Amino acid sequence: MPESSAPAADQVLDCTGLACPLPVVKTAQAIKNLDQGQVLELLATDPGVEPDMRAWSSRTGNDLLGISKQADVFHVLIRRVK
Amino acid sequence: MWADNSETKILYVQTHGIADPGRSATPFFLAAAAAAMEFEVVIYFTMYGPTLLRKDVVDRIGPKGEQGQPLRYFVEQATGLGVRLLVCQPSLDLNDLSLDDLIDGVEMIGGATFNELAVSADAVISF
Repeated sequence: MPESSAPAADQVLDCTGLACPLPVVKTAQAIKNLDQGQVLELLATDPGVEPDMRAWSSRTGNDLLGISKQADVFHVLIRRVK
Repeated sequence: MWADNSETKILYVQTHGIADPGRSATPFFLAAAAAAMEFEVVIYFTMYGPTLLRKDVVDRIGPKGEQGQPLRYFVEQATGLGVRLLVCQPSLDLNDLSLDDLIDGVEMIGGATFNELAVSADAVISF
Protein backbone atom coordinates (compact mmCIF):
# COMPACT_ATOMS: atom_id res chain seq x y z
CA MET A 1 0.00 0.00 0.00
CA PRO A 2 1.44 3.41 -0.94
CA GLU A 3 2.18 5.64 2.03
CA SER A 4 -0.08 8.38 0.74
CA SER A 5 -3.21 6.24 1.00
CA ALA A 6 -2.39 4.81 4.40
CA PRO A 7 -4.83 6.02 7.06
CA ALA A 8 -3.53 7.93 10.05
CA ALA A 9 -3.14 5.85 13.17
CA ASP A 10 -5.28 6.58 16.22
CA GLN A 11 -2.61 5.03 18.42
CA VAL A 12 1.03 4.03 17.94
CA LEU A 13 2.43 0.99 19.72
CA ASP A 14 6.23 0.98 19.84
CA CYS A 15 7.57 -2.57 20.05
CA THR A 16 10.96 -1.83 18.50
CA GLY A 17 13.66 -3.94 20.10
CA LEU A 18 11.16 -6.44 21.46
CA ALA A 19 11.33 -10.06 20.38
CA CYS A 20 8.65 -12.59 19.52
CA PRO A 21 6.02 -13.03 20.91
CA LEU A 22 5.85 -9.55 22.47
CA PRO A 23 4.75 -7.60 19.37
CA VAL A 24 1.80 -9.98 18.94
CA VAL A 25 0.99 -10.03 22.64
CA LYS A 26 1.13 -6.24 23.02
CA THR A 27 -0.86 -5.70 19.82
CA ALA A 28 -3.58 -8.02 21.11
CA GLN A 29 -3.74 -6.02 24.33
CA ALA A 30 -3.54 -2.60 22.68
CA ILE A 31 -6.25 -3.22 20.09
CA LYS A 32 -8.74 -3.86 22.88
CA ASN A 33 -8.27 -0.26 24.04
CA LEU A 34 -9.33 1.12 20.65
CA ASP A 35 -12.87 1.63 19.43
CA GLN A 36 -14.09 -0.40 16.49
CA GLY A 37 -12.92 1.25 13.28
CA GLN A 38 -9.88 2.89 14.87
CA VAL A 39 -6.39 2.15 13.58
CA LEU A 40 -3.35 0.95 15.51
CA GLU A 41 0.14 1.43 14.14
CA LEU A 42 2.61 -1.16 15.42
CA LEU A 43 6.32 -0.38 15.15
CA ALA A 44 8.48 -3.49 15.42
CA THR A 45 11.93 -4.74 14.56
CA ASP A 46 11.32 -8.45 15.19
CA PRO A 47 12.01 -10.09 11.81
CA GLY A 48 9.01 -12.41 12.14
CA VAL A 49 6.51 -9.63 12.60
CA GLU A 50 5.15 -9.60 9.04
CA PRO A 51 3.96 -13.25 8.86
CA ASP A 52 2.97 -13.08 12.53
CA MET A 53 0.73 -10.05 12.15
CA ARG A 54 -0.84 -11.55 9.02
CA ALA A 55 -1.66 -14.71 10.98
CA TRP A 56 -2.85 -12.78 14.01
CA SER A 57 -5.07 -10.42 11.99
CA SER A 58 -6.67 -13.16 9.97
CA ARG A 59 -7.30 -15.24 13.07
CA THR A 60 -8.73 -12.46 15.22
CA GLY A 61 -10.78 -10.90 12.42
CA ASN A 62 -9.05 -7.53 12.56
CA ASP A 63 -8.13 -5.74 9.36
CA LEU A 64 -4.47 -5.60 8.37
CA LEU A 65 -4.30 -2.42 6.31
CA GLY A 66 -0.65 -2.61 5.36
CA ILE A 67 2.89 -3.37 6.35
CA SER A 68 5.82 -1.23 5.29
CA LYS A 69 9.46 -1.31 6.30
CA GLN A 70 11.38 1.90 6.88
CA ALA A 71 15.04 1.32 7.72
CA ASP A 72 14.91 -1.61 10.15
CA VAL A 73 11.44 -0.86 11.47
CA PHE A 74 8.24 -2.51 10.32
CA HIS A 75 5.17 -0.27 10.39
CA VAL A 76 2.01 -2.36 10.65
CA LEU A 77 -1.40 -0.72 10.35
CA ILE A 78 -4.34 -2.62 11.81
CA ARG A 79 -7.96 -1.51 11.99
CA ARG A 80 -9.98 -2.87 14.88
CA VAL A 81 -12.98 -4.67 13.41
CA LYS A 82 -14.59 -6.47 16.33
CA MET B 1 -12.18 -28.66 31.57
CA TRP B 2 -12.02 -26.45 28.50
CA ALA B 3 -13.99 -23.28 29.13
CA ASP B 4 -15.19 -23.50 25.50
CA ASN B 5 -15.30 -19.75 25.11
CA SER B 6 -12.99 -19.92 22.09
CA GLU B 7 -13.36 -21.79 18.83
CA THR B 8 -9.80 -23.06 18.85
CA LYS B 9 -8.06 -24.84 21.69
CA ILE B 10 -4.38 -25.74 22.06
CA LEU B 11 -2.89 -28.00 24.72
CA TYR B 12 0.86 -27.61 25.27
CA VAL B 13 2.76 -30.27 27.22
CA GLN B 14 6.03 -29.43 28.98
CA THR B 15 8.06 -32.42 30.15
CA HIS B 16 11.43 -30.70 30.72
CA GLY B 17 12.47 -29.05 33.95
CA ILE B 18 15.16 -26.93 35.53
CA ALA B 19 17.94 -29.28 34.47
CA ASP B 20 17.49 -28.02 30.91
CA PRO B 21 16.82 -24.25 31.07
CA GLY B 22 17.05 -23.82 27.31
CA ARG B 23 13.86 -25.85 26.98
CA SER B 24 11.99 -23.94 29.67
CA ALA B 25 10.56 -20.84 28.00
CA THR B 26 9.38 -21.73 24.51
CA PRO B 27 6.09 -23.32 25.61
CA PHE B 28 5.29 -20.08 27.46
CA PHE B 29 6.16 -17.98 24.35
CA LEU B 30 3.99 -20.05 22.08
CA ALA B 31 1.16 -20.20 24.57
CA ALA B 32 1.20 -16.41 24.93
CA ALA B 33 1.11 -15.95 21.17
CA ALA B 34 -1.76 -18.45 20.91
CA ALA B 35 -3.72 -16.64 23.60
CA ALA B 36 -3.12 -13.36 21.78
CA MET B 37 -4.73 -15.03 18.75
CA GLU B 38 -7.78 -15.59 20.97
CA PHE B 39 -7.23 -19.33 21.27
CA GLU B 40 -8.01 -21.07 24.52
CA VAL B 41 -4.69 -22.36 25.82
CA VAL B 42 -3.48 -24.61 28.60
CA ILE B 43 0.00 -25.87 29.41
CA TYR B 44 0.25 -29.22 31.16
CA PHE B 45 3.47 -29.78 33.14
CA THR B 46 4.40 -33.40 33.60
CA MET B 47 7.53 -35.50 34.20
CA TYR B 48 10.13 -32.81 35.15
CA GLY B 49 7.97 -29.92 33.94
CA PRO B 50 6.50 -28.96 37.34
CA THR B 51 9.95 -27.93 38.59
CA LEU B 52 9.71 -24.87 36.33
CA LEU B 53 6.78 -23.60 38.40
CA ARG B 54 8.56 -23.71 41.76
CA LYS B 55 8.23 -20.46 43.71
CA ASP B 56 11.96 -20.61 44.44
CA VAL B 57 12.85 -21.16 40.79
CA VAL B 58 10.81 -18.69 38.71
CA ASP B 59 12.83 -15.67 39.83
CA ARG B 60 16.17 -17.45 39.70
CA ILE B 61 16.46 -19.09 36.29
CA GLY B 62 15.32 -18.44 32.77
CA PRO B 63 16.01 -19.92 29.35
CA LYS B 64 19.61 -18.71 29.55
CA GLY B 65 20.12 -20.08 33.03
CA GLU B 66 20.86 -17.37 35.54
CA GLN B 67 21.35 -14.71 32.85
CA GLY B 68 18.63 -12.75 31.09
CA GLN B 69 14.94 -12.69 31.87
CA PRO B 70 13.78 -15.07 34.61
CA LEU B 71 10.99 -17.56 34.05
CA ARG B 72 8.47 -15.45 35.97
CA TYR B 73 8.54 -12.95 33.12
CA PHE B 74 7.51 -15.60 30.57
CA VAL B 75 5.04 -17.27 32.90
CA GLU B 76 3.24 -14.01 33.63
CA GLN B 77 3.24 -13.00 29.97
CA ALA B 78 1.26 -16.18 29.29
CA THR B 79 -1.01 -16.22 32.34
CA GLY B 80 -1.75 -12.51 31.89
CA LEU B 81 -3.40 -13.44 28.59
CA GLY B 82 -5.47 -16.19 30.18
CA VAL B 83 -3.21 -19.21 29.67
CA ARG B 84 -3.88 -21.82 32.38
CA LEU B 85 -1.16 -23.94 33.98
CA LEU B 86 -1.94 -27.55 34.96
CA VAL B 87 -0.05 -30.24 36.86
CA CYS B 88 -0.85 -33.72 38.11
CA GLN B 89 0.00 -35.34 41.44
CA PRO B 90 2.30 -38.13 40.23
CA SER B 91 4.65 -35.67 38.56
CA LEU B 92 4.68 -33.53 41.72
CA ASP B 93 5.63 -36.69 43.66
CA LEU B 94 8.36 -37.46 41.14
CA ASN B 95 9.96 -34.10 41.90
CA ASP B 96 9.17 -34.17 45.66
CA LEU B 97 6.89 -31.16 45.31
CA SER B 98 3.47 -30.18 46.61
CA LEU B 99 1.10 -27.65 45.08
CA ASP B 100 2.17 -25.23 47.85
CA ASP B 101 5.71 -25.23 46.46
CA LEU B 102 4.47 -23.85 43.15
CA ILE B 103 3.52 -20.33 42.12
CA ASP B 104 -0.09 -19.28 42.65
CA GLY B 105 -2.73 -20.20 40.13
CA VAL B 106 -1.50 -23.64 39.12
CA GLU B 107 -4.38 -26.12 38.83
CA MET B 108 -4.31 -29.82 39.67
CA ILE B 109 -5.75 -32.34 37.24
CA GLY B 110 -5.44 -36.10 36.73
CA GLY B 111 -4.74 -38.40 33.84
CA ALA B 112 -8.36 -38.69 32.76
CA THR B 113 -8.66 -34.92 32.52
CA PHE B 114 -5.45 -34.71 30.53
CA ASN B 115 -6.70 -37.26 28.02
CA GLU B 116 -10.06 -35.52 27.77
CA LEU B 117 -8.31 -32.19 27.16
CA ALA B 118 -6.14 -33.83 24.51
CA VAL B 119 -8.91 -35.44 22.46
CA SER B 120 -11.04 -32.29 22.59
CA ALA B 121 -8.21 -29.91 21.67
CA ASP B 122 -7.55 -28.74 18.12
CA ALA B 123 -3.84 -29.28 18.63
CA VAL B 124 -1.63 -30.93 21.22
CA ILE B 125 1.98 -29.78 21.16
CA SER B 126 4.50 -31.59 23.32
CA PHE B 127 7.93 -30.46 24.42
